[in-house]
Amino acid sequence: MIGPEFEDVLRAAAGGDEEAFGKLWRDLQPRLLRYFRVVSPAVAEDLASETWLGVFRGIARFSGSEPAFRAWVFTIARHELLDWRRRAARRGIEDLPATGLVEQAAPDDPATSALEHLSTRAALAEVATLPPDQAEAVVLRVVAGLGVDRVATIMDKRPGTVRVLTHRGLRRLAERLGSDQIRGVV
Amino acid sequence: MRRPPANPDADPLALDDETVERLLTGELSPAQAPPGYAEVAALLAATAAPPTPDELAGQAAALAELRAATRPRRAAGFRRGARPPRRRRVALLAAALVGALAMSGVAAAATGHVPAPLRDAARSIMATVDGAEPAPPAPPGSRTSPGPTPASADQAPGSTGPGSTAAAGSGPGSATAGTAAGLDNQGLCKAYLAGQGGGRGSKLDATAFQRLAELAGGRDKITSYCEQLVSGRAEPKEDGKAKEQAPPSNPDQGQGQGGPPVSTGAGGQGQSAPGATQPGR
Repeated sequence: MIGPEFEDVLRAAAGGDEEAFGKLWRDLQPRLLRYFRVVSPAVAEDLASETWLGVFRGIARFSGSEPAFRAWVFTIARHELLDWRRRAARRGIEDLPATGLVEQAAPDDPATSALEHLSTRAALAEVATLPPDQAEAVVLRVVAGLGVDRVATIMDKRPGTVRVLTHRGLRRLAERLGSDQIRGVV
Repeated sequence: MRRPPANPDADPLALDDETVERLLTGELSPAQAPPGYAEVAALLAATAAPPTPDELAGQAAALAELRAATRPRRAAGFRRGARPPRRRRVALLAAALVGALAMSGVAAAATGHVPAPLRDAARSIMATVDGAEPAPPAPPGSRTSPGPTPASADQAPGSTGPGSTAAAGSGPGSATAGTAAGLDNQGLCKAYLAGQGGGRGSKLDATAFQRLAELAGGRDKITSYCEQLVSGRAEPKEDGKAKEQAPPSNPDQGQGQGGPPVSTGAGGQGQSAPGATQPGR
C-alpha cells in the first residue's frame, strides 16, 4: 500500500515522473510476480513485464483510488495471462505442473521445516496446487489484497462464486497441509 | 451465501464465511485460526509477506525496459522516457553535433570518411601543433563562407545545466558547409571542451571525438590540443580568417559549465539538437 500520498504518486507517474512510477512498481511488482507464480509460474516474470507495459500505456487515462488502481493493474495482469494462455494453447505449450509442499517436502528441507518460516515461494507453490480458479481467487484476495467484488470483476464471475472458490480453496489447503504426508515434516 | 455452522464432529474443517474472510485478510494469526487452519493461516501470511529483495531487484531494468519499449509520447512517456532508446540517442547526439557545428568536415568525420582536403588541413594543424613540417595547405575552395563573428560569439552560451551535452550546449550554428577543417576541428574541440567535466563518460566514444583523438595523437592529448586550437595558437598559418573568427579565449572553457559561445544564426540544423537534450532536469 502506498497510502495517503497515492493520489500524488499516481498523478506524478501519469505525468511521466519515473520516480513516482518506480513507487508504484515497488508496491505492485512483488504482488504481480506472486500472482503469476501461482497462475502461470513458467512465465511469471514475462507476464509481469507485459503487465507493466500495459500499465505504463494506460496510466495517463486512469483515475481512481488506490484499491481501484490495484484492481485495474490486476485486470491488465489477467488479460496478459489469458492472452498468454491462448498463444500457448495454439502452440501446444503447457504450463509447468504445480508442485506444492507435499510434492516438494523433504525432511531436511529448511523451507518446509516449519510453516512459521515458510518461504513465500514455497507458500505460493502450495497455493498453486489448488484447482486454477480457486488458486486465482485466493491469490487475488490475499496477495493482491482485493475485496470480493473487485476479484469477481477481474475474474468475470459473480461475488458469490468467488466466495465459494476461496472457501473451497482454504479448505483444500487445510486438508493438504493437515495430511500425514506434510505433518511428518512440519 | 453464509453456510450454517456445520456440526464440528461431522466436519472438523468446516468454516463459516466470516472466518474465511478473516483468514484471507490476514486477521487471524496461526494461533487464532480455528482448528486445522493454523497451517493455512501461516501459509497465507507467507504469500503476503513483505517483498523479498529478489522481487525488487529488477526495478532499474524494468523501468529501462519500459522506457525503451514505449515510443516517446509526451502524455504517457516518462520524462526520462521522452528520450528515445539509447541507440537512437547516440544517432541523435551525432546528428545534433553535426547540426550544431554545421560543418561538413565533422559530418565526414562522424561517418569515418574524411575528404582528402580536410585531411590535409587537419594534418597541417597537427604539423603546427607539433612544430613539425607543415603539410600542404588545404585547397582554397574548401572555405567558402565566413563563420560566426566575434560579436555574435558574445551571445549567451548555449546552455547552463551540468547535464547538458556537448551537442545540447552548442545550439544552432551559422557556419555553412565547406568551412575550413581548422574551424571544423575548432568547433569539435569547443564541443569537446565544453562537455568536459560534465560526466559524459561516453563522449570519447562518439565517432567525431574519436577523430579528434586521432588528430590530437591520442585521447589524453585531446585537451591540450583543443585548448591550443581554440585559443588560436594552433591555427593553421594559412587560415588567417579562421583565426580571426575564433572566439576570445574563455578561461571557463573546459570546466564543463556549459556550451561554447555560439552564433545566433538560426540554422535549420539546430532543430535536431532538442531531441538529444534532456529537458526539465
